[in-house]
Amino acid sequence: MDIIIVMCIGIIIGNFIKFKQTKIINEKIQLISTIALIFAMGVNIGSKENFVDELASLGITSFIFFIIPTILSIFVVYFLTKRFMDGQKEKGE
Amino acid sequence: MVIYTVSALIIGLLVGIAHINNSVLALLTSNTDLILYILMFSVGISIGMQDDVLTKIKQYNIKIFIIPLGIIVASFAAGFICSLLTGIPYSYSTAITSGMGWYSLSGATISKLVNAELGSIAFLSNLMREIFSFFIIPFIALRFNYYTCIAPAGATSEDTTLPMMLKYTNEHTVVLSVLNGIICSFFVPILISLCLSL
Repeated sequence: MDIIIVMCIGIIIGNFIKFKQTKIINEKIQLISTIALIFAMGVNIGSKENFVDELASLGITSFIFFIIPTILSIFVVYFLTKRFMDGQKEKGE
Repeated sequence: MVIYTVSALIIGLLVGIAHINNSVLALLTSNTDLILYILMFSVGISIGMQDDVLTKIKQYNIKIFIIPLGIIVASFAAGFICSLLTGIPYSYSTAITSGMGWYSLSGATISKLVNAELGSIAFLSNLMREIFSFFIIPFIALRFNYYTCIAPAGATSEDTTLPMMLKYTNEHTVVLSVLNGIICSFFVPILISLCLSL
């Protein structure tokens, strides 16, 4: 829950910032902090003794976590937009 | 962004496998809480700095929430299905699918809040979702409808996959795509946090 509070404080402050320079600096901060966290995650996984053995199962699990939400999102959004939004025939025709 | 984060993951893995240890690494790995807070604060500033979001929401009325709502509900439901298939507790699996394609944030956050293994699943699965979107958008535009092109892109529909929207859909869908990305991006950290507290 802490992270939501921190993010909301950021949203409030962000509302008052109008300088383009700040946006550029903010994007760099995001990139650096993301890279640092992903790197730390890599170090943590890599230092596990049985990491190489677990690699295949990690890949299969990741695939399941990718394909199901993606396909389900496509069908749910298709159903909702066809049912509730105008111009449902809008496609390459 | 993809190159940087994937490189960071690979280098991190190699450092971990080699069991390299020094003061800089120790400083980094022991301060991930602080880094996560900085990231979340920065994400908040990005959202807060978005111009005219409320005006656009009023202009497009309540219907603009249909697509993000569909994506969020589908991703959340998919988390339960994935939990059944993999045996991962549903609070974790729904948190992973709540990434909605934002692989960097979901991977980093779940890695910090749960563990590195689940963080890497979140990272890889959401990265696959983003890459898959590039290939599937033209097919969806042809076979389904333009609006549905936004679905696989999820939270990335305002930035990385936007060029595909520009190329294969129309102006109206591109605007909805940007708004969908902003709404989904806003909800990703909130949903991850809420799912983990289930």
